[in-house]
Amino acid sequence: MTDPTGDRRRFLAAVGAAGAAGLAGCSGFGGLDGSDAGTDAAANASGSTAGFTEFRGSGPLAEGRGEFGGTRIADLPDLSGELTVYLGGGEGGLYRDLVSILQEIYPDFRVNLRESGTADAANTIIGEGEATPADVFWSVDAGSLAAVANEGLTATLPAAVVDPVPQTFHPDDEWVGVAGRARSIPYNTDALSAEGVPESVMTIPDRPDLAGSMGWAPTYGAFQAFVTAMRILEGEGTTREWLSAMVEAGVTEYSNEFLVSNAVADGEIDAGFANHYYALRVQASRPDAPVDLAFTSGDAGGLINAAGAAVLAPTDAQQLANTFVRHLLSAEAQEFFATRTYAYPMVEGIPPVGGLPSIDELNPPDIDLGRLSNLQPTLELMREVGVL
Amino acid sequence: MSAEEPGRVRAAVGLGGDDGDEVGPGVAALAGAVAAAVLSPLAWLLLRATEIDPAAALSLVTSPTATEVLANSLLLVGVVTSASVLLGVPLAVLTVQTDLPFRRLWTVLVALPLVVPSYIGAFAYVSAFGPNGELADLLGPFGVSVPTVYGLPGTALVLTLFVYPYVFLTTRASLLSFDDSQLEAARTLNDGYLAAFRRVILPQITSGVTAGALLVALYVLSDFGTPAIMRFDVFTRVIYVELNSFGVGRANATLLSLELLAVTAVVLALESRVGGDETAGYGTPASATPVVSLGRYRWVAAALPALVTLFTLALPVGVLAMWLVRSGPGYAGGGLAFRPAFAANSVYVAAVAAGATVVLALPVAYYAGRSDSWFARATERATYLGYAMPGVVLGLALVFFGIRYAPALYQTLPLLVFAYVVRFLPQAVGSTRSSVLGVDRQLLGAARVLGASRRRTFRRVTLPLVAPGLLAGAALVFLTTMKELDTTLILHPTGFTTLVTYIWRVQEAGYYGRAALPALVLVVVSGLSMIPLLRQGGDDA
Repeated sequence: MTDPTGDRRRFLAAVGAAGAAGLAGCSGFGGLDGSDAGTDAAANASGSTAGFTEFRGSGPLAEGRGEFGGTRIADLPDLSGELTVYLGGGEGGLYRDLVSILQEIYPDFRVNLRESGTADAANTIIGEGEATPADVFWSVDAGSLAAVANEGLTATLPAAVVDPVPQTFHPDDEWVGVAGRARSIPYNTDALSAEGVPESVMTIPDRPDLAGSMGWAPTYGAFQAFVTAMRILEGEGTTREWLSAMVEAGVTEYSNEFLVSNAVADGEIDAGFANHYYALRVQASRPDAPVDLAFTSGDAGGLINAAGAAVLAPTDAQQLANTFVRHLLSAEAQEFFATRTYAYPMVEGIPPVGGLPSIDELNPPDIDLGRLSNLQPTLELMREVGVL
Repeated sequence: MSAEEPGRVRAAVGLGGDDGDEVGPGVAALAGAVAAAVLSPLAWLLLRATEIDPAAALSLVTSPTATEVLANSLLLVGVVTSASVLLGVPLAVLTVQTDLPFRRLWTVLVALPLVVPSYIGAFAYVSAFGPNGELADLLGPFGVSVPTVYGLPGTALVLTLFVYPYVFLTTRASLLSFDDSQLEAARTLNDGYLAAFRRVILPQITSGVTAGALLVALYVLSDFGTPAIMRFDVFTRVIYVELNSFGVGRANATLLSLELLAVTAVVLALESRVGGDETAGYGTPASATPVVSLGRYRWVAAALPALVTLFTLALPVGVLAMWLVRSGPGYAGGGLAFRPAFAANSVYVAAVAAGATVVLALPVAYYAGRSDSWFARATERATYLGYAMPGVVLGLALVFFGIRYAPALYQTLPLLVFAYVVRFLPQAVGSTRSSVLGVDRQLLGAARVLGASRRRTFRRVTLPLVAPGLLAGAALVFLTTMKELDTTLILHPTGFTTLVTYIWRVQEAGYYGRAALPALVLVVVSGLSMIPLLRQGGDDA
């Protein structure tokens, strides 16, 4: 092995050489063939892309992407010291990989990572209270971050950390989104055309052609967050009616949204409700699968939840913790989230993969993501209707 | 010491009263301390419960949801426990007392389902029998529709298939320690086997059967994975949902947990009543020669264990193998690859937990087996409560206490091992206590008369005789620790990855292909721990 500091210098030099590369034009509804996003950026990129390729995933969805703008790791203060990070979720170990890359760049930086479910992690921090050994809480669900913030256990993030991210994803600066997860309707392209997918989730139960051919995963957290959003936006009565109508029309249950998306690709169902990246994951493993994504507009079906991070108030490494969160928002880390977890990047200038529409094009509903932690009434509603 | 002499003599000649002073105060204090330690996490529940306004608490406990959940839980416990007895007892009789072909093989195979974690078993079932499962795909073209697996029938079926071995194992142990000459005597009196079974065997194995049934009932009450996957609303599923909703949900989860523990207490009290009288020490080890010839029904009888094996082992292993074969890039995902070190971590922590549990179970079991006092009884029963505490709730309770009162132990192996002890102590207490009861008291009396001190008698006579029970308890604790997920996720030392936490990590993100290999390793390694369980009773000698 070579001297680690030498490695680091070379690494950062490569990143620096790439400079401020061109911004990818967002490509709109290009389908999932991964054709156009970022190609012009690739053309503009000069010099080495070593910095990005280290962070970037492989496979058809990640191909042909160039260098993008945003704050580079080289522009940020160094990470040095030790952090304890509680991870809620973690994308099957992918977040762990990102941390490993950061540790490679900074030999003096060490992260103690604890993974558990999003709610388990939040409940653990709440149970630990002021004595928590965690410096950072990084979770794939905004509701769990808000729950910890509500207990007064988070430190307000400075403007330098949150400024690159749209306001929606740091409503009170107690936490900040680092990767977006959009609600979507994966549909089978043999059964439906893009125009055949309703523009609003609210009208889905009224569509006779979709009766008996939709799938959902009601025990899944992301689905419950979607119903919570509907309850907040449309009221309890309308949500109850919507749920009942879906049940009456005949909807197939799955235990999670990967299976929903997989079933769509298999043609078991024509369309379903799922977070957007699951269909991309199916697509990545089976490039010929007849599956594409549709997004509804301005309603609960267009909700964009976020994986995010919060610095915990009791930490004595606040500075380092803030810098760590800034690294999660660096162009390189954002590229990581975009190309490996197929999430929506949170900073401007990094496009999502595979011709996904940009966040601006999505028109998500106007909703405070912190309110998604108020799950109780949602569960009661779902039980009442008999879907839970 | 001399003050206790009369009690010892009375016990030795079989006149043991209910004062129970055969056991020294040291043992009683030790047993009491163990019980108090494992009950301590309960304090967290009480503390949380006081945060709730009593009126709100009452309305929650009496709400339609809560009543329905209570009814569902009781129903599930009733169905699974009865079904486990109906499955476990005949299998035990077949493999111990008949000339079933391949008896030894079946003994191993029908005990093995215990090593399959319920979340894997249930998942395999949904994947095979679900509305869009493999079997539906396979049979669909032939016009055969697969019955639904969700709700009570599916949950009860899957739970029964994976927990009935508790009954099988305890019944088998009772049958093995049963003196065949009694059966022969009954049969010389012209009783048929069935009549002899009813009159002679059944009364003597009742305690074994109920001990297994109790473990089944408590497991069903505390299991979260199966009802969640099979969509049946029981306490644990609702507790979990409430915990996921924060704020008031946490308080609700606490109340429901307390209600669950109250149900457990009732089950424990009921079991004490039907537990049968087991004061007799029938020290003669039984011969393992089959006593019943099945004649030409031998092969028909073999269909029962064969069918059970098909549904409990072949099916989940087949589904796992399919995931393994099928894993393309999208199923494989990223992250840390599976490492043998995870299996080593699992084995290490499970072995430590098994050791710690039997050491702590010994005073409780010895005290309960040797004394008839109410305190001995209460101590033993109390250790069962922790077994019915859902893992998440226990984990969060230990987070709260650990960080406040034992910060040096927080997120270290000792605290994790303590959590396992709280969860699994009754498994070791049960089998050890049976062994203690099985020790012929006249032997102890003889040793004392010969001038051996109580301690020396214990070490030289009792301990060797109860060793098989301790070993069986250790094996049970080992394999249940191997598959315990919730407490491990919450309390593991940072950076300590085990088989189950790895399986959880990849499966949570939908990378089933990645879960297959560690799941198979888990099943195989846990399967090895069945060996001491099955050697018990000298069957293999």
